[in-house]
Amino acid sequence: MKKLIVIFTAFISALILTPAVMANDDSHGDGKLDPKEIIFEHLGDGYGWEVPFNHHKRIPLPVIVFGSDGLHIFSSSHITGGKEYIDGNTTFKLAGKDSDFKGKVIEIVDGKEVRPFDISITKNVCGIFIAVMIVIGLMLWLRSFIKKHGYKAPRKGLGFLELLVDFIYDSVIKSTLGKKSAKFAPYLLTVFFFIFVMNLLGLIVIFPGGANLTGNIAVTLVLAVLTFMVTNLFATRHYWKEIFWPEVPLWLKFPLPIMPAIEIFGMFTKPAALTVRLFANMMGGHMIVIVLTLLIFIFAAVSPVAGGATTVISVLFSIFMLLIDVLVSFIQAYVFTMLSTIFISLAQVEEEHHAEEAHKNELKITTQSE
Amino acid sequence: MELFTPDFGLIFWMFVAFAVLFFVLWKFAWPVILKNVDSRADLIDKGVEYAQNAKLQLDNARQQAEEYVAEARRQQADMMRDADRIKTQIIEEARSAAQVEAQKVMDSAKVQIQQQQKEAEKQFRNQVSEFALDIAEKVVKNQMADKQAQTKLVNSLLDEIESKN
Repeated sequence: MKKLIVIFTAFISALILTPAVMANDDSHGDGKLDPKEIIFEHLGDGYGWEVPFNHHKRIPLPVIVFGSDGLHIFSSSHITGGKEYIDGNTTFKLAGKDSDFKGKVIEIVDGKEVRPFDISITKNVCGIFIAVMIVIGLMLWLRSFIKKHGYKAPRKGLGFLELLVDFIYDSVIKSTLGKKSAKFAPYLLTVFFFIFVMNLLGLIVIFPGGANLTGNIAVTLVLAVLTFMVTNLFATRHYWKEIFWPEVPLWLKFPLPIMPAIEIFGMFTKPAALTVRLFANMMGGHMIVIVLTLLIFIFAAVSPVAGGATTVISVLFSIFMLLIDVLVSFIQAYVFTMLSTIFISLAQVEEEHHAEEAHKNELKITTQSE
Repeated sequence: MELFTPDFGLIFWMFVAFAVLFFVLWKFAWPVILKNVDSRADLIDKGVEYAQNAKLQLDNARQQAEEYVAEARRQQADMMRDADRIKTQIIEEARSAAQVEAQKVMDSAKVQIQQQQKEAEKQFRNQVSEFALDIAEKVVKNQMADKQAQTKLVNSLLDEIESKN
């Protein structure tokens, strides 16, 4: 206990003193702080991956663009820091702050900036590949354990992994989809683990993590579109009938297809909701932590004392927020999987079931009237 | 807002990455893992069912065993009672048989004694008569010559003796 108090006091005093020390050290940049710039830089994508504790060095990543004269592949180190890169007859550079394509690779054609067709391996793409490898590694690990030990329950980390599989498979997929769960379980479980690993990777600040993956709308959009495709491609005939000819009074669907229009609109709001929910939740968490950290610098610019006080509060809040984000990472992966399962199951309605129910209701009504 | 405009390159790579991930897991991982999860659930269900059956059977067996024990006790008591009865019966029979035998022996002994007595009496009478005749002969020889008169006298004497007896 005494040791803990000593460590804690040392930690707090270090936090208080840091801004004071940093204020004296004027070697960094021009000293002007642009919080908006920093926030968007951290949340957004980038060519190259920051090295911990150094803002100028980046791990170079390949840039792949189809310019006006074909395919170009070069290292991102050629264009960082405002440099222009000439590959053959084409000139590439990173768009400046005032450009429409801020921070993206652009091609200069006749003095004008043109955005080429860009499929570069950016920081986020690289992060996605790392997440894919981690998920594949984890699942093959579990598979090899099962192959080797059969029914035996795994312990420790692998036990947790199996618990997660069991939890999602049993209480989300099986309880909603029933007999059809075998058909959709591979997709849904893949989605869950992919999102969960990407969420957690986003919370790690240094190299293998640090990319704001699920807080990027492109990533969540792809996942939602996949769920949309799975939902509608495997849908039953009854599902389509419910959309185009639902059981409502005729005037709601005949001359003016009011209900079908609403139903079709509903088809597309579901993936939109999935996209935005995951994206906004994860991005929000990241943004709060960055803002809390930036508060230190904003207050330190005012006075070192205020900076010291803010440091303590900010760091404690950041730790708290990061812990909450771990929980949110799981919850959002779970919610995405659960909603995907529900959307898929809604598209698996069968005629017999409804007819039976309607018949039952009819019987009830007749018996009541008698 | 750059945050809300999806980047095409990222969408493309995300799609490719997901496709690869899904294919690998669908081909290698999920069949094995899900089969294991399912069959383990089945195994557990079966185990519970088996245990319930076993408990039921055990309860039945216990009840049956109790019934057997009670039955055995009852039989034992019956047998004890029977044995007791048979014992007394045997003793009783033996006693009566012994009595009958003893009676027989005694009866035959009595008859024999009576016979021997009669024989002895007969012998004794013969001898007495012989002795008497001898004595009388001697006495009469001396006193009487006439044999006829003598015999007459003797017989009357003998009758006298006999009637005395």
